[in-house]
Amino acid sequence: MNAAVQPGTPSASPPPVGREVEARSLWKSYGQGAYVVRDVSFALRRGEFLTLLGPSGSGKTTTLMMVAGFETPTRGEILVDGHDVASRPPERRNFGVVFQGYALFPQKNVLENVEFGLRMKGVPSATRRRRAIDMLDKVGLAGFASRKPRELSGGQQQRVALARALVFEPDALLLDEPLSALDRKLRESLQNEIKDLQKRFGISILFVTHDQDEAMMMSDRVAVMAEGRIAQIGSPSDVYLHPATPFVAGFLGETNLVPGAYRGTDEGYAVVEFKDAVPGRARLPADGRTLTEGETVVVSVRPERVRLLMRPAERKFAGVVSDYTFMGRHTRYRIQALGQLLTVSLTEWSPASAPCAGSPVWVGWEPEDAQILSGPDGALATHQEIGR
Amino acid sequence: MSASRSLRFSGNALLLIAAAPILFFLLLPSLIIVPMALSKSQMIQFPPEGISLHSFADYLGDQQWVESTLLSFKVSVVAVLIAAVAGGTAAVALHGRSFAGKGLLVGLIMMPIVTPVVILALGDYLLFAQLHLVGSWVTIAIAHAVLATPYVFISAQTSLTSNLNPALVRSARSLGARPSSVLYHVYWPAIRPGVLAGSMLGFAVSFDEVVLALFLQGPNSITLPVRTFTAIQFELTPKIAASASLFIALALVALALQALAARKTGQVS
Repeated sequence: MNAAVQPGTPSASPPPVGREVEARSLWKSYGQGAYVVRDVSFALRRGEFLTLLGPSGSGKTTTLMMVAGFETPTRGEILVDGHDVASRPPERRNFGVVFQGYALFPQKNVLENVEFGLRMKGVPSATRRRRAIDMLDKVGLAGFASRKPRELSGGQQQRVALARALVFEPDALLLDEPLSALDRKLRESLQNEIKDLQKRFGISILFVTHDQDEAMMMSDRVAVMAEGRIAQIGSPSDVYLHPATPFVAGFLGETNLVPGAYRGTDEGYAVVEFKDAVPGRARLPADGRTLTEGETVVVSVRPERVRLLMRPAERKFAGVVSDYTFMGRHTRYRIQALGQLLTVSLTEWSPASAPCAGSPVWVGWEPEDAQILSGPDGALATHQEIGR
Repeated sequence: MSASRSLRFSGNALLLIAAAPILFFLLLPSLIIVPMALSKSQMIQFPPEGISLHSFADYLGDQQWVESTLLSFKVSVVAVLIAAVAGGTAAVALHGRSFAGKGLLVGLIMMPIVTPVVILALGDYLLFAQLHLVGSWVTIAIAHAVLATPYVFISAQTSLTSNLNPALVRSARSLGARPSSVLYHVYWPAIRPGVLAGSMLGFAVSFDEVVLALFLQGPNSITLPVRTFTAIQFELTPKIAASASLFIALALVALALQALAARKTGQVS
């Protein structure tokens, strides 16, 4: 269905274009209502793909709309290369915005859609036609100039929307959940297209989604938002493996939360005493806060990072298999250990050698894979909070 | 399967039996007019005597009747133009906004539909008499515009709600469109079918409006319905039937055009 995106030169990616966009302590409330965005700050670097990830109501879309100019911040600044643009209306900012459903002009053809931004900026008709055709060529839609949007597939519509947003050389692209309404398969191929296009053009992208897989796959950095705040910002692996708060840990995927008491450090890792005085090690809090001896802490360990052994070993905790489920790509064990049920995900598993329910096993983890959390104790994001 | 089909068939038959007399009853007055126009007689009567086109010739040859017909067109076109601008812009202005008094404002726009026309006519007469404007066709057009505006407003509003993707407005603005450009490139395509349909309705309302036109008439501003009304009282000429037949033809053409337009937009969406 989709002709491959025009395979630009596979050599070095182009130098980053656009400008640095910085949000500085943005706050937003409607009337006398509660703040829906609270003290949000981030910098979108040139050529960077930054995602605002969060459940519905976390303030991610409001934040994007403040950057685009459709919402006015109650407080705070939006800087483009150091100049505050917060007081400018959207038509006087220079961002390419892509909306959910793409919002192409239905009665205009592909070329007129792509030309529109240049036309509004007063570019002479011959020049804008040439630039629009050139851009269509770059996104692999050279032969589609006279089609109407309804005559295009979802993937082609996305390319028109991106071409339309890119053709006037915006300071950055702002993408508001463009893929949320699509089915999984189409979505994955469109994710790849956006990523490809970003690499080829070197444009910086601020992306909004509630889908953690999408955020992981596409972003250079992810800002996880909850209740109007950025809970954590970092690389996908960073926020996944080293979550700062129980919310981040839970929102990005399944995790085990093990409570214990802080007992000092060892080789740069925290020593944590779990139930029944079993000691273990974990990374110190991601937000850099200092711990006091004896303080109750919560350690997060991803199921696929828990090691499962059939015999005792140093720094392993004894447990008993409660049950297991074969899931195809992995097998999911539930182990009674450390006074709770731990979830363990095994990828190398064969029915012959597998421990069955009731078998004694030993579990443990590398200290690098366990993370002490900050924030409200054990308040892991529930499904209601995550929404959708 | 066949049982349900026969059930549906008998249901359709029942519907036909119930609906046909009503349809006939509704159409009868219109159907009677046409043969009356074709009568040979010099008086309007039913059943007609013989077949002749002389009443059409008389109608088209009578300067007063022709003037009234042209005047009616002028009045309706001007009324509809005013109504299209007023109703269309009101629909755009009120779309997606909520503020205190919005319901009141909409009620005000819609009021001419529910207000008895006699009251409107009386009010208009007294107002325009003060301004020494009674007797001008423009005055009738203005009065008719008030009557036609709610029709345009309602259908424009419906059109906007069903056709306008709010993201399009944002999309256009993010591409640098100022409010006037947003109006032209986003609102107008979405509102156009509604404004056109509402204008057609408004035209029909204005074209056969008698009461306002009667109150506001002058020696040189007698619309066709007013002339017909006066003629039926004093002349009883078959010209009345002839002009009425032409209206029926006009209405049929309008209906056909509308159906054609609907089919075209149906293909588009």
